[in-house]
Amino acid sequence: MLGLSLFWEYRAILFQGMLINLLIFALSSTVGLTVGLVACVGRLSPFTLLRTASAGYIEIGRSIPEFVLLIWVNNVMPVALSAIVGERIRFNPILSATIALGAVASGYFAETFRAGIQAVPRGHVEAARALGMRTPQILRRIVLPQAIRVMLPELMSQNIGLLKTTTLVSVIAVPDIMYQVGIIGQQEMKPLPLYTGTAIAFFLVIFALTTLVDRPASQLQRS
Amino acid sequence: MEFWTRTIVANTGPLLEGLRLTLLVSTIAFLVAAATGLVICLLRIYAPPLRLMLSAYIAFCRNTPIFVQLLWVAYAWYDIFAWPKDVFTAAWVALALQSSGYLAETFRAGFESVPHGHVEAAYALGMGRFGALRRIVAPQMLLTMAPALMNQFIVIVKCSTLVSVIAVPDLMFQAIRLTNIWGEPVPILTFVAVVFVILIISLSAASKKLTDRLRARMAT
Amino acid sequence: MSVMAAVHPSERAESDVVSNAEPSLAIRVVGLNKSFGDVPVLRGISFDLSRGQVLSIIGASGSGKSTLLRCLNYLERPTSGDVWIAGYPLTFATDRNGSRRNPTAARIARVRAEVGMVFQQFNLWPHMTVAQNVMEALIQVRKLPTKEARSRAEYYLAKVNMLDAAERYPSRLSGGQQQRVAIARALSMEPQIMLFDEATSSLDPELTAEVLAVMRLLAKDGMTMVVVTHEMAFAREVSDRVMFLHGGLIEEDGLPSVVFTNPRSERCKQFLSKFLG
Repeated sequence: MLGLSLFWEYRAILFQGMLINLLIFALSSTVGLTVGLVACVGRLSPFTLLRTASAGYIEIGRSIPEFVLLIWVNNVMPVALSAIVGERIRFNPILSATIALGAVASGYFAETFRAGIQAVPRGHVEAARALGMRTPQILRRIVLPQAIRVMLPELMSQNIGLLKTTTLVSVIAVPDIMYQVGIIGQQEMKPLPLYTGTAIAFFLVIFALTTLVDRPASQLQRS
Repeated sequence: MEFWTRTIVANTGPLLEGLRLTLLVSTIAFLVAAATGLVICLLRIYAPPLRLMLSAYIAFCRNTPIFVQLLWVAYAWYDIFAWPKDVFTAAWVALALQSSGYLAETFRAGFESVPHGHVEAAYALGMGRFGALRRIVAPQMLLTMAPALMNQFIVIVKCSTLVSVIAVPDLMFQAIRLTNIWGEPVPILTFVAVVFVILIISLSAASKKLTDRLRARMAT
Repeated sequence: MSVMAAVHPSERAESDVVSNAEPSLAIRVVGLNKSFGDVPVLRGISFDLSRGQVLSIIGASGSGKSTLLRCLNYLERPTSGDVWIAGYPLTFATDRNGSRRNPTAARIARVRAEVGMVFQQFNLWPHMTVAQNVMEALIQVRKLPTKEARSRAEYYLAKVNMLDAAERYPSRLSGGQQQRVAIARALSMEPQIMLFDEATSSLDPELTAEVLAVMRLLAKDGMTMVVVTHEMAFAREVSDRVMFLHGGLIEEDGLPSVVFTNPRSERCKQFLSKFLG
């Protein structure tokens, strides 16, 4: 009835598209985590300027719709950079995707890092200090282990969200799964099985990931 | 710089129209999603045999990327059901579909957050089930859920930017269209990006204010 | 009266006839059993309580005290056995043919309007002010017009000394204040019986006194009260009758002076020794 056979027929090329999604996910997640960590440190720093700038960056990252930033990075950034550098610059769409999705993700990750660190009760740090421990030790042995326990479930959940947003990149001509579906759809004039198949495929993958994440997450919370 | 300002000013008409459509499609999607979520929540409580099916529905809505859902509704549904007939409908249907899953969970959390003791106190005073639901449970639910509801609206506004892909003339669509006409990506796209950021930040700030006020009122 | 007569003689228990002819009985409980799943919590409890009497129920946790109390206003549904409130059957109804049925929701609500309950957790509604909390049932259940509900609420709030807090929200009040408002809320319905479910157990010791003072006042005014409590001093000084519950059974039942100084049950002795030294 659903005629998913068409989806099955093209599975090789669709799978390749999915790999592109995973690639972009891996890249933007890395960027997001790194920049997010930096932004978080800046946010918690005692220097007002750094703190405000970081807070501003995080706020914008969390507020801007991914799609808007994607288009902007792909179309405006190269032009702006060209003007500055003097040479004609063009962005590889995968680069644009990585920057845009990574930037938005960094905003969310930064907040998660901050929540994790601030979740460690002050008393624990004070007790460590009272015992004569120095800051790096305290960070490593007291703060980080507890913070990670709080952060990990949320980070995993946010990463799954990031995986979902990689589906956007087809609009800037990245040959991901949605892009392939679009092409095949035009060729075959049969959108139904392809889009339904893709929806189901994504559902199964994301659902599996979410379920995998939930169990250790609740275990972490319980301990 | 001056050229850019002129470009933006010259195009205020279409841009405003785009913004109106963004807000319109977001609002309709939110209301439909909230109604659907409420119905699902009630069904889960009062119609136990449907629970599995409803949980599957919620799981599907939450775990499928919005972009996939959008194209699926816009292109595949028309193939089977001959509906939705226009892209605007496809847009709010897809957005509502995605959010109905989250909102169903939000309503459930809200419902369960009302301490059973409050309901018992109502019963002990002679109130019936419906009276207690109406006067005690529903108000508390709404107060608890208000931040989550506002948050979901903000999510919908952010997702609504995608509908430009299926040619719904929202703000993003106008921005891209004008960019193609004028050949000048920088001023228009940057302006629209800034507009979106300001819009979302304002909504978030309002939501935060609301949350703080409610928390102060209801804190025990 | 005719309803009672229509019950087949062989089915008519003695209590059916008696309760209807005893308007002075505030509460009658006959053979009350309650199990949660397989676990029996109340085993065949029977007792009568006359109007104006104050009954204190004491016992260890898990003895079934709260469950018994909650059966009296049907917040717990008895597994078997019957309860009459002011001569009116709570746990069953008789239909036109005279056969027993489960009580309707309307009947339960009607009885509950005559039985006030004060909870351990106060259970004030946080989204309403103190005054609104007290007025709510007056408007919804007693169907009073707002003005009348308002003046009645103010009267009872004044009685528990909480009138100045009328426009405040419960979250701003201390535990003792909240509990006093809860008492006002129950009282304003002008019930025939007041039930107290460990009303002071959630309170800090300093705040317990103010609530007990209100309860003493109520007792002095002649309210029929059933009080589940750990406050032995209160039970001893204010009640007309004390019941010691253990394992779902009434092990001791009598005057406070007797129960507290010379109980027959060994378990009761042990229980009291923990409190009275």
